[in-house]
Amino acid sequence: MTDTSVVIPSVPTPIPLGHSPDRRGSWVPNGGMIATRFMELRKRRGLMVALIFVTIGIPTVFLAIRLLAHAIAPKSYGPAGGSDIFNALVAGVLYVFGFIVAATLGCTAGSVDLTEGMFRHLVVTGRSRLALYFARIPAGLGIVVPLVAIGFTIVCAVCVFAAPTQISYGGVNVPAGLSEAGLSHWAADNANEVVCDFPFRIGPNSNGNLGNVVQAVPCGGPGGGPGVVQKGPGGSSVTTAPTPAMIRAAAVQIARQDYPGYTKVFLSPSVGLMVRTGLWIELEVAVGFIVGLGLGSLLGQRTVAVILMIVLEIVLTPILSRANIPHMINLQRSVVGLAVAHLEPSSLGFVFGGGGGPGGNQGTSQLVPESRTAAVFVIIAWMVGWTALGAWRMAKRDA
Amino acid sequence: MSISMTTERADHRDSEGQWAVETHGLTKRFGENVAVNSVELLVPRGCAFGYLGPNGAGKTTLIRVLLGLTHADAGTMKLLGHSVPRHRAAALARVGAIVDEPRFHGHLTGRQNLQILAAAREPEAKQRIGPSLERVGMLHRADDKVSKYSMGMRQRLGVAACLIGDPQLLILDEPMNGLDPAGMQDMRDMILSLVAEGRTVVLSSHLLDEVERTCDAVAIVDRGNVIRQGAITDLLAGSSFVAEVECSEPSRAGELIKGTAIGGRVEIGPLGLGITLPAGTDRDVIAEVNRVLVGGGISVYRLQEVQTSLESWFLQVTSRLGASE
Repeated sequence: MTDTSVVIPSVPTPIPLGHSPDRRGSWVPNGGMIATRFMELRKRRGLMVALIFVTIGIPTVFLAIRLLAHAIAPKSYGPAGGSDIFNALVAGVLYVFGFIVAATLGCTAGSVDLTEGMFRHLVVTGRSRLALYFARIPAGLGIVVPLVAIGFTIVCAVCVFAAPTQISYGGVNVPAGLSEAGLSHWAADNANEVVCDFPFRIGPNSNGNLGNVVQAVPCGGPGGGPGVVQKGPGGSSVTTAPTPAMIRAAAVQIARQDYPGYTKVFLSPSVGLMVRTGLWIELEVAVGFIVGLGLGSLLGQRTVAVILMIVLEIVLTPILSRANIPHMINLQRSVVGLAVAHLEPSSLGFVFGGGGGPGGNQGTSQLVPESRTAAVFVIIAWMVGWTALGAWRMAKRDA
Repeated sequence: MSISMTTERADHRDSEGQWAVETHGLTKRFGENVAVNSVELLVPRGCAFGYLGPNGAGKTTLIRVLLGLTHADAGTMKLLGHSVPRHRAAALARVGAIVDEPRFHGHLTGRQNLQILAAAREPEAKQRIGPSLERVGMLHRADDKVSKYSMGMRQRLGVAACLIGDPQLLILDEPMNGLDPAGMQDMRDMILSLVAEGRTVVLSSHLLDEVERTCDAVAIVDRGNVIRQGAITDLLAGSSFVAEVECSEPSRAGELIKGTAIGGRVEIGPLGLGITLPAGTDRDVIAEVNRVLVGGGISVYRLQEVQTSLESWFLQVTSRLGASE
């Protein structure tokens, strides 16, 4: 050790009695603490690789393959973008795996100081233990939120700029953005496809012949139904094949009936939907990080905390969100994953792997019912509760 | 350095400026086990103070309580005049400490670890990172990952972590662990230089030789109790010393000494005698031993007064305690 006493002041500066310098006892962390905590997390190479792979890598690779396949064989492979891909990547990948990687980051941030022996050094600085805990929240969110935002932006960009020029409605390629009259005209021109493939219902306002016409039209097989019953000479009933005019009329009727559903099957996600979905995904990620941070701090170790978080997201939440368990409905409603799912933008329909469909909005309809107010309350309670638990444990723990 | 110590409870008004560490009735229990038992400890400012004790004596526990790493069950304590835990932040602002083996984030460099610690201290701490690393001889490895450091290098980094707070008081728990002889010499020199700058260094160790070479004062702790404390010179002055005699006919020489009024405990060996004389014995007694032996026809080849070392004194004190139980 070299003699460089000149670089450290030879007379230490005394601290006046009862005076806490630089608000060291305050529970509010300073910018330096947040920045260095950010650095500490960012330098964890394995964790960062996993985070980037899940939030950016998976969507990017998936979309790149689709773009390539469509460019090579456009008739065999559909466009890379569009609403269906948007739904699948956002609600199917970013939602679930974003939560898991955020929770992993939270569990890491909440436990590594203890397991790696750094907690003791930090406590000896005299800095408030609460400030040490709270510094981790902006630091961790500062990592995971931008990563998810980047991944989400890539998804949005591809889904918008590589969207199909036609939408698939009931298996039929239909031009997008038609008015009701436009759809009717198009249906008249493609009457057989509409009659065969569009969903329809026969109600009190339906033309009486609609059912017979639909049954009489050959749809991919030989012949068709028995035909249309008409009054013959002398009042006798005669069964005849439907005329093209009758088929066109039926197609127009079906098109008018299906128009509300058609309007919900959008070509590419709207700006409003993308903004709402982005905020929703970030909320899910923030919840995952904060709950993971609290759990990691409470348990004092990472592995068990991460396993518990994965079980919560992959196993417990889907079961408790869909199963109708008598006398436990309020307990089910208190699951944070269910609460976040209820804040899902209405046009998405794939949450927890539930199938959406034409018209969307079928994901949340299959969940245990819960009001939005209750959902918001549950989310706040989870975030505040786990933060309080983690901070309390950190403040009381032997270092 | 003049060190005056007492185990009596000091007046708080007087002690605020005098003691770097002051505890009264400090107690820490783990279930039925009392790790720190009503400890009265007074560490003067501006000295190197050794805190000695056998394994499991409660040395590290006391340090952990002082630093707020764990809570005390009873008693009061002050660091640099600040009551702890009431004014913990102000007290620890000028305290640096290594407790147990110093561990850091292995995936970060030494410098980055210090940046994390500096951020939790005052803004000036950041400017002290480079000088602190230079002072402990780690500047050339500052940008290597800590996972590649040896134990000794982590010890040095631990000291650098203490120095970034510009401490008035350093508490070092077994700082020589993992250091090679040259590293121990460096550490010893650095502790002495820190004391020369007016800082107080509390050194917890079981390496009595190192403590004796480094410290001005010590406290001996055993089973949670501080059993002795004071300046080393004062403590050793109150201990017995040995007159070693190399001579012919050791058995007859022993009988001659026992037949005089010299007193002491005589041990007879193959080459001579060992005469343990009580504390406060006049040095003329050694000359008297020589006269008795020569007068009795014994050939004296060597006669030497051996002062009690801290190690032998420590063993005397602790063995006396063991025998009294």
